[in-house]
Amino acid sequence: MEYLIHLAILIAIYVILSLSLNLVVGYTGLLSVTHAAFYGIGVYATAILATKLGVSFFVSILIGVIVSSIIALAVGMILNRFKDDYYALGSFGFNVIIFSIFLNWQDLTRGPLGIPGIPRPNIFSINFSENLIFLMLVVLFAVLVYFISCFVVDSSFGRVLKGIREDEKALQVFGYNTHHYKLSIFVIGGAIAAVAGSLFAAYISFIDPSTFTLNESIFILAIIILGGLANLRGSILGAIFLVLIPEILRFVGMPNEIAAQMRQVIYGIILMLLMLYRPQGLIGEYKL
Amino acid sequence: MLPQLILNSIIAGSIYTLVALGFNLIYSTTKFFNLAHGVLAAVGAYIVFFLAQMLGVDIYLSVVAGIFVAGFIGYLLDKIVYLPLRKRKASNMVLLVASLGAFTVIQAIIAILFSSQFQTLSRNIGFEKTYEIFGGIITQTQLIIFLCGIVIMAGLLIMFKKTSFGKAIVATSDNEEVAKIVGINTNRIIGRVFFIGSAIAGLAGILVGFDTGIEPTMGMSLLLKGVIASIIGGIGSVYGGVLGAFFLGFVENFGIWQISGEWKDAIAFALLIIFLIFRPRGLINK
Repeated sequence: MEYLIHLAILIAIYVILSLSLNLVVGYTGLLSVTHAAFYGIGVYATAILATKLGVSFFVSILIGVIVSSIIALAVGMILNRFKDDYYALGSFGFNVIIFSIFLNWQDLTRGPLGIPGIPRPNIFSINFSENLIFLMLVVLFAVLVYFISCFVVDSSFGRVLKGIREDEKALQVFGYNTHHYKLSIFVIGGAIAAVAGSLFAAYISFIDPSTFTLNESIFILAIIILGGLANLRGSILGAIFLVLIPEILRFVGMPNEIAAQMRQVIYGIILMLLMLYRPQGLIGEYKL
Repeated sequence: MLPQLILNSIIAGSIYTLVALGFNLIYSTTKFFNLAHGVLAAVGAYIVFFLAQMLGVDIYLSVVAGIFVAGFIGYLLDKIVYLPLRKRKASNMVLLVASLGAFTVIQAIIAILFSSQFQTLSRNIGFEKTYEIFGGIITQTQLIIFLCGIVIMAGLLIMFKKTSFGKAIVATSDNEEVAKIVGINTNRIIGRVFFIGSAIAGLAGILVGFDTGIEPTMGMSLLLKGVIASIIGGIGSVYGGVLGAFFLGFVENFGIWQISGEWKDAIAFALLIIFLIFRPRGLINK
């Protein structure tokens, strides 16, 4: 039972991450491979604020979101100058830079040693150290993010985003400042990813930089491509699939070290097969 | 201090040259960022590790085998993954994502077979010779790296200028459709380009392995440096890649003279982003 709750929590966290990335990649057509960086900013915000300053969890979420938004704003302004594959490459670069900040700014992040002892949230005398109750909190956030995403894509703002994806020039002709739209959605995506990070930090209680490498960004990208670009339910489906599939390996008795690598083999193969045979993913509405 | 810094920059530049040359060669014919390129460096290095260190095969034979296997896997990737995608006129982003998948798979397989630990790769020559040049010290391995960089660059230049195969490559990169019309089998040319480019990557990986050691993730950092070198030099040109590689080597090494060495990757990417903003076509404008 504990194990199932653990998986459910992970799935909910990845649902938050993939929904937010889908807004950027699926709806707006910006191939961003830097999502793990914003995820990591949320994680470190909560970890540092909670362990060093004893800030409450919910305040730390807010601060994580603000920091992540500011950085996303700066990164987005630079990335907006690029298109398609150069965009992907530039976003790659930011993931590496932000990862090296996590790794090397040792006064703040303790570098490779990581930060242990991150407390679970505590509010209105509800004890979130019980995993089941924490799961409810994470699911609550995931549902909230789902509805925010629905609201974003169904609004007129969302329709402009899809327009940018299909034909940016045409929208510019109609007088839309596409630059601002692209920047806004990138910031929204980064902010939501930071929420997932805060939840992850509080859940796992020990964090180190190795979680926020490029591989994690590729993993989140694999989730949304598998589920389907520009389809919110697809992201949920993708997160469930890609979190659960590697768990099967554990049941066939594979040692942990190898299972972790097999996980990468599996999602790498899934990425290749999808590109070859079904670039729109399971239920996607947009092909890269 | 200064001579050593310059030597280090030149060595780093030579390594990046090797990666950038292969990457650029493939990019110039296919026009997409083949991110699986770097992992082939790791393939080459691990083949040598497996043959020479685990089975005790002769070191020169192992190196040749490592280069060949890296080239062959690059060739297979083209035939199995990229060629079908190109035939369907898939966008560059699809190819890029597919190459990310290939990269992840191969890197993980290496980690499963040989563990993800850092390991050393020795040339079985016992004591490493060192040379002193203007007060800076350079090891024999590093000298070999520098020479390989020069030789491969010269080789590619001769290939492009003198052989019909090289001219066919140039024709394919200029305009694939026209090249087809005049009777060049462009898919075969591209397949061979993948073999050659990947073999050069394999050589780079082996040399880095001799110099500093091997780990499954070595490919990614090498690839990123190669890509950055290609872009800041001028993507798709031989000279551009070399120029960019040495420029990057110097900036990185002089950068960490002032701030600590862990920031190397961040410096490299900051340089890339500066170039993408202010000079997106690189030093050599092609």
